Amino acid sequence: MTAPLPLPRVRVIRPATVEAAIAARAECPQHEVLAGGTDLLVNLRRGLLAPTVLIDITGIAELEEIRTTGDRTRIGALVRLARLAEDPAIASRHAALHAAAASVAAPGHRRLGTVGGNLCLQTRCIYFNQSAWWRAANGACLKSGGEVCHVAPEGERCHAAFSGDLAPALIALDAEIEIAGPGGRRRVACADLYHEEGRAHLRLAADELVTAIEVPASAARSGYLKERIRRSFDFPLAGVAIACRTEGGRLNALRISVTGTNSRPLLIDGTAALLGRRVDESVLTAAEKLVAKQVRPMRTTLFPANHRRSIAAALTRRLLGALAAPAAAEVGAPPTEAP
Amino acid sequence: MFESGPVPGKRLVRIRVNGRWREDAVADDQLLVDYLRETAGLTGTKTGCDGGECGACTVLVDDEPVPSCLTLAVRCEGRSVETIEGLGAGGRLHRLQRAFHEKLGAQCGYCTPGMIMAAEGLLRRRPDPSEAEIREALAGNLCRCTGYVKIVESVRAAVEAGA
Amino acid sequence: MTKLAGTRDGVPLIDGIDKVTGRARYTADLDHRGAFVGRILRSPCSHAQILRVDVERARRLPGVVAILTGEDCRVPYGVLPIAMNEYPLARGKVRYRGEPVAAVAAIDAETAARALSLIEFEVRELPAYYEADQARAADAVRIHDDKPGNLEREVHHTFGDVAAGFATADLVREEVIDCAEVNHAQIEPHAALAEFDPSTGRLTMQSVSQVTFYLHMMLARCLEMDESRIRVIKPFVGGGFGARVEVLNFELVTAMLARAAGGKVSMELSREETFITHRARPQTRIRVKLGLGRDGRLRACECEVVQRGGAYAGYGVITILYAGSLLHGLYDLPAVKYDGYRVYANLPPCGAMRGHGSVDTRHAFEVLLDRMARELGLDPFEVRRRNLLHAPTRTLNELAINSYGLAECLDRVEAASGWRTRRGRLPRGKGLGMACSHYVSGAAKPIHWTGEPHAVVNVKVDWDGSVTAFTGAADIGQGSSTMVAIAVAETLGLPIEQVRVIAADSATTPKDNGAYSSRITFMVGNAAIDAARRLRRLLTEAAARRLERDPADIDCADGRFRSLSAAGREISFGEAVKAALVDQGTLTVKGTFTCPPDAQGGKHRGGAVGSTMGFSYAAQVVEVSVDEDTGRISVDRVWVALDCGFAINPLAVRGQIEGAVWMGMGQALMEETRYLDGMPAHASFLEYRMPTSLDSPPIDAQIVESIDPNGPFGAKEASEGALASFAPALVAAIADAIGVDLDVLPATPDRVLDAVVARRRRERLDALAGGGR
Ligand SMILES: Cc1cc2nc3c(=O)[nH]c(=O)nc-3n(C[C@H](O)[C@H](O)[C@H](O)COP(=O)(O)OP(=O)(O)OC[C@H]3O[C@@H](n4cnc5c(N)ncnc54)[C@H](O)[C@@H]3O)c2cc1C
Ligand code: SF4
Ligand code: FES
Ligand code: FES
Repeated sequence: MTAPLPLPRVRVIRPATVEAAIAARAECPQHEVLAGGTDLLVNLRRGLLAPTVLIDITGIAELEEIRTTGDRTRIGALVRLARLAEDPAIASRHAALHAAAASVAAPGHRRLGTVGGNLCLQTRCIYFNQSAWWRAANGACLKSGGEVCHVAPEGERCHAAFSGDLAPALIALDAEIEIAGPGGRRRVACADLYHEEGRAHLRLAADELVTAIEVPASAARSGYLKERIRRSFDFPLAGVAIACRTEGGRLNALRISVTGTNSRPLLIDGTAALLGRRVDESVLTAAEKLVAKQVRPMRTTLFPANHRRSIAAALTRRLLGALAAPAAAEVGAPPTEAP
Repeated sequence: MFESGPVPGKRLVRIRVNGRWREDAVADDQLLVDYLRETAGLTGTKTGCDGGECGACTVLVDDEPVPSCLTLAVRCEGRSVETIEGLGAGGRLHRLQRAFHEKLGAQCGYCTPGMIMAAEGLLRRRPDPSEAEIREALAGNLCRCTGYVKIVESVRAAVEAGA
Repeated sequence: MTKLAGTRDGVPLIDGIDKVTGRARYTADLDHRGAFVGRILRSPCSHAQILRVDVERARRLPGVVAILTGEDCRVPYGVLPIAMNEYPLARGKVRYRGEPVAAVAAIDAETAARALSLIEFEVRELPAYYEADQARAADAVRIHDDKPGNLEREVHHTFGDVAAGFATADLVREEVIDCAEVNHAQIEPHAALAEFDPSTGRLTMQSVSQVTFYLHMMLARCLEMDESRIRVIKPFVGGGFGARVEVLNFELVTAMLARAAGGKVSMELSREETFITHRARPQTRIRVKLGLGRDGRLRACECEVVQRGGAYAGYGVITILYAGSLLHGLYDLPAVKYDGYRVYANLPPCGAMRGHGSVDTRHAFEVLLDRMARELGLDPFEVRRRNLLHAPTRTLNELAINSYGLAECLDRVEAASGWRTRRGRLPRGKGLGMACSHYVSGAAKPIHWTGEPHAVVNVKVDWDGSVTAFTGAADIGQGSSTMVAIAVAETLGLPIEQVRVIAADSATTPKDNGAYSSRITFMVGNAAIDAARRLRRLLTEAAARRLERDPADIDCADGRFRSLSAAGREISFGEAVKAALVDQGTLTVKGTFTCPPDAQGGKHRGGAVGSTMGFSYAAQVVEVSVDEDTGRISVDRVWVALDCGFAINPLAVRGQIEGAVWMGMGQALMEETRYLDGMPAHASFLEYRMPTSLDSPPIDAQIVESIDPNGPFGAKEASEGALASFAPALVAAIADAIGVDLDVLPATPDRVLDAVVARRRRERLDALAGGGR
């Protein structure tokens, strides 16, 4: 083994059931959960985490299912993103989720990467996602065990940005997350899975596991738009998911969620005020303003924070305009691979 | 279920590499790419980055092109892994290899094994892809030499040449 | 040239099959059995006095076989004999974050990494400078003691009467253009494998180098070894683009470790370390001023260039000279003033990158020319046509122009892009822009002046009729070995399959200066033809003897030697070889090429830089779509034409043009290296974004053949000339699409948005001013 940046020495265990995985989580003090590994293995090689055990959950068959019961689609935590991106039923029922899945990373990552891994993705920061040499030379920050945040030195918190693509779509679609723990399973609204704190953005106990998402069927139209510098291989500068419904040309439901700008995927407040109105220029401007006001991008990327805000706002206007237009097709889906 | 081996220990793993079953003692923390290059001696698969950012290491696992630096070797237990060395039979070039050679889809050749495996994965799913589908399928494979022009042409030529 | 004329599609690369089958072995794929693992400790600070590098604890770690620090590096190195100011491992001072300070070889990677963590590094920090302005400030601490003002080199050249030129111009404009630093980002990370045999004192080095001869020389120098004990072999190389045209610290360190360990050491750098090794295109600020007549004629040009060169000299002097000298040679310029400043900063050293020295200045020049044409109401193509050169000629700075196909390049892309019917008629948000560029076909004066020819090729023919060409030239994917095979085969009238090429192994091949400045086709190609001609003469004489004719009566073609006068009297190539070997045995002939002194540039200081036997010329049109809300730019199509003199292998020429245009696109659209207090913040392929297949447009590449009088079969270079015109064509297209003039590269969404905001502000102010009137 001569190649640089090897994985640290770890032991891998591969439970076959959710219960066994939960038990293993409770037993092993220094462990990480391994799903697709497209985020975790890279982070391990950079020394961002130092587990001695990896709990590989990909042996749990139960978590691979997609099931449609009545008005809900239940998607197991281990469902691969490529499968979501290629599934015509997902495309027609939950367009935002479909578009979001198709926009993640590059094709190979989508074949390995899972829904659960995408939701539980580590937050990102230019001072954090670096090699061990880099972080040591630069001085550790709050997230890597140091005393100060290099992005906002006067503050007390970490602003590392949540940059997953699925979460905003699920939040806009009002999906629920199923979580298993030693005491059984519970459900939370997707937005409630997250905190606004880059060091600990997940509201998940150390012995819990995300097991599934449940997306309600709805008459709302939905879409996801993501801006990035490249068309592939790139996290969102900002990503906006919207689900909305119009009746007689007037808005009667509207949910907007944004990723890439905060330490959590943000559910935009105040959209209720726009209900009952026609989606005209003033509504688009109002929606754009709501987003611009609420997102808090910080200097966690080399790309200037103020423009991440303006891009989030511009995407909101564009997406809402397209969804409210009479013949809205699926919006924002990049060319997806054929099945 | 994997046995929990002792800490830096290894376990016996059976993987079908380029059509032949192998059994090797594999450390838990060995990446598939290192298993292929070092344990199996198949250096056709390349690495170009510090993890998940270039696609040079792309191989087929059960017919699906994935970056072999983003998956553990132990995870491939019982599965079929194919590398550039597995294409073509009896000394004959595979149609993608021939096309990449004749159409100059390879300049320095460093991205080529990964690129060809990504293209092969596409053609197995989709025998007659459009240019947009080819570009999409190769969107996880960086090339610094060709501007992708002759790579896309090579894949098209392979399609036209037939299986 | 019967055969070349008959194979105008070109031929695949002679080593292509190895690449597509995975058989090709790159440095990391070589036989590593028994090799120790080498690793480098890198400086955490930007600028500091080294107080202590204590390796004792590391040395005691079981499994460590060698450990080195700057103390072990007595001799400095550097690619230019006049500017060798770098040590393989830092001595006395460190000057950038990531600079190598110590190295270990150990039985495995884990031990090597542990050993590095046991090395104690103590320093006294000094002020560090990350921008050229800060480094040049009056009170700045010197990064190198002998360089006041942290200036590596300033250049001041004036040709013609600049003041008079501006005085007669109808329009004089000036712009300041900023270009970000970029990197070669070849996909193969750096690696080296060195083996030292203590019993014979011999060193064998295999590395990712583009310049095996320089590596050989520098190894001898830094290891203080006899040159004849060193062998340098180039395996397959996964791209260069200039990253590997100077000897790199890790190569020297690997060899030193091998000697210290008395065995074989393998060094593989991470992608991050590969970026830190750098040596690429510097951040550059260009202030350019042009004077233009209403007739579109250029009257004068004034240009000031400041390059932030990083911490060591490297190629810096050459880069800053190129930036000025290649203002010339593209258009007819009556007066040019150039002021160049190469500045040190506490960042990884810059170096040569595809289009060395010319790209950023060409960008600024073309951008300004485009804007002035617009102001004068002239078509961008027309303005170029008014300023064409006429070969043969010499530029103001004494560059020889022997062939010039720019006019045809312009015609071709103008027609192909539908410029006349489409320009100005595209919907808002879509635009067309064009620009031109050129590049040298090999520096006419080599850096290491020895009096030897510029290139030597040996060709051997043996009893079996096989022909083998030996060249020191490094094929790094550009197809140079294939070019040599074609040149030899064509000259001998053989099919290319009959010619084998052995390249870049100092034990078997003649010395070659390496793959840089696009010199190989011109120089090595000519040397190969020369060798093959000599061989043909010997074989023709032998055939004449056998056929009992006069040599002048013998024609060599299609693998046969025929009498011209007596039909039917002919022998095969193999028979001619057998005849020639009688009394002689195996034949080896040598061919050479030397640039005549009058091609080697002007007599002024630095006048040799930019001089060449032939310039390639390019024109291109870029079509874009601009999203004004998100700042995203999409390149929809590119049309490019390149005058490469003659396309010896049209397939390879097209591949090179496409690659060059695309690399120009990467620099123009998204690539940039950035530092946070000297920490490389771009050192991964996620942060250093090169375009993916989805960001890359179709490229319509056309070949123009001006048949250079001195080129091999009339050929010139083909792989650099088209790069520099992409960015200015893009900026012009953006202006055409949304009326915004970008003064910075790359044109990332944030910069485009900034420019859009500035335009809107201007429009509002204009409206207010208009309303008040
Ligand atoms: C070059 C590159 C580009 C990328 N671009 C994008 C992008 O554009 N958008 C994007 O969203 N992502 C991107 N990613 C990140 C990643 O590929 C995806 O987010 C992927 O979906 C992660 O899923 P995974 O299964 O591979 O996660 P893993 O790597 O297996 O896990 C990620 C994290 O989630 C935890 N985890 C996983 N599953 C569970 C579970 N069921 N319960 C609790 N915790 C769990 C893990 O412990 C780990 O901390 C990129 C990655 C790379 C290397
Ligand atoms: S936001 Fe601050 S604390 Fe968080 S990762 Fe970045 S630098 Fe560290
Ligand atoms: S080596 Fe770059 S993606 Fe695997
Ligand atoms: S051919 Fe060189 S990187 Fe693709």
